[in-house]
Amino acid sequence: MTSIDHFLKSKPPLWMRGDINYGDIIMSTRIRLARNLTGFRFPRAFSDEEALQIDKLVSSAIIDEENNLDVPFSYFSLHDMPALQRQVLVEKHLISPQLANKTKMGSILVSEDETISIMINEEDHIRIQCLQPGLQLDKAYHLADEMDRLLEEKLPYAFDDSFGYLTSCPTNTGTGLRASVMMHLPALTVTNQMGPLINTMARLGMVVRGIYGEGTEATGNYYQISNQITLGKPEEDIILDLQSVAEQIVQKEIGARRALLEHASIAVSDRLNRSLGVLQYARILSSEEAANCLSNVRLGIDLGLIPPIPDRVLNECMLIMQPGFLQQHAGTTLQANERDVYRASIIREQLQMNNTDSKQ
Amino acid sequence: MICENCKQRPATITVTQMKNGKKLTRHYCDVCNKQLDHFHLNLDSDEDPNAVQKLFSSWFGTPSWSVQAVPISNTQTKVQNDSCPQCGMTYRKFLEEGKFNCPTCYETFKEQLPQVLKRLHNGAIEHIGKVPGSINESYQMKRQIEALRQDMKSAVEEERFEDAASIRDQVREIEKKLQSGGEESDEH
Repeated sequence: MTSIDHFLKSKPPLWMRGDINYGDIIMSTRIRLARNLTGFRFPRAFSDEEALQIDKLVSSAIIDEENNLDVPFSYFSLHDMPALQRQVLVEKHLISPQLANKTKMGSILVSEDETISIMINEEDHIRIQCLQPGLQLDKAYHLADEMDRLLEEKLPYAFDDSFGYLTSCPTNTGTGLRASVMMHLPALTVTNQMGPLINTMARLGMVVRGIYGEGTEATGNYYQISNQITLGKPEEDIILDLQSVAEQIVQKEIGARRALLEHASIAVSDRLNRSLGVLQYARILSSEEAANCLSNVRLGIDLGLIPPIPDRVLNECMLIMQPGFLQQHAGTTLQANERDVYRASIIREQLQMNNTDSKQ
Repeated sequence: MICENCKQRPATITVTQMKNGKKLTRHYCDVCNKQLDHFHLNLDSDEDPNAVQKLFSSWFGTPSWSVQAVPISNTQTKVQNDSCPQCGMTYRKFLEEGKFNCPTCYETFKEQLPQVLKRLHNGAIEHIGKVPGSINESYQMKRQIEALRQDMKSAVEEERFEDAASIRDQVREIEKKLQSGGEESDEH
């Protein structure tokens, strides 16, 4: 079993390494399957004893040498995990904030390459999650489905012929499938097209959420688009619909970027390069400002207005600027104002290292 | 049209609200709309438990003002007082909390569920899609038997008795398999 330190490193995981299927606009794809075991109450109402039994059943079904899995899985209980480590796992999207708070009975199974994680006793008994870079809904679903098949062979799922997979919240009933894509949409945001787009999405049965930032702060022009409806539609259709919506939004974003360049090339270039300046020279950086500047720099590179910086470096900055990672990296707890200073110095360092690398 | 709030930018968003039973339509620009926060974006977590609860109580719950004013009929009282044998959940409690406590709740409240699911899933009340493997096998076999019985019936009607006999043998074969899988067949 891999130690927890492996999962706490700031190296961007496989699914954050970009460069694939619309990788400049669609950062990543996520599939989540909600499952429950028959004969047990849901986590919101179950006893400690039930929690323990479910934990044992699920973890032993996955950690089993006879499974012959391509990638090994590790098991961690949230119970004996320090708060900072839990926060880092949330920032890496390996666990949800809800699970991070469930220190009494929550646990996680995570694949060594960090593409698949299985949360035990979150809102449902089992939540299988698969992350992939770029737009790869089919592949992500296929991987999650494989884990699902492995589990269903060994465990009795709560399933009803007419309602499908039974979940604690009826918004997940049916397929239990939530498919999402994380998109970087700076041009649509700056041209005020996101509001109407969000309304249109709702009519198509899709939800748009922000995904980035500290607490409730919305920053960085990143949006997560996912299916709202889980009942009455087969998995393939849910995925196909999201795929086509995501592709259409990509085209809209490309159009908005083109329009920005045509109408205000110098103003856009000024704004984006100023952001690069801030990242290179600022001494105090809030997470909000850092996220916005990183978003602008990414856009600048995509538009050819800023000399290329590898995705790897930008992704690492995005990861490490988050409060949990910063403190993990510093090896000590930091107050918000101390974090802002440390954040600025880390990002400066990252960009300088890249500069010296490219000059050699 | 100009935004009603800042009276400067063009209005791009129409907000319709119900106030004292009257419909109010307002036109805002994107900037003001965001500030006025009609559609709150949930940014920090995967799901917002409060939103679901609010949604439920406003859609299906009895509004507090009508509890005293309108006498609840006997049938309604019965429905609201039925509780889940596995976890004790009542339908009233489900409406308040928006979540079930155990898988058996679905069976307990199956009469009321379609109207809830319809609202949440764009009119859908029936699952289409993946079925767990173990359930899948017997489910498929039962479906196959149904289809074969139909074939057999039309074969008899068309006086193709040899065909009908061979279909009957197929049905028996599948029924045997179903039984050996621990499933009880209701016909012999």
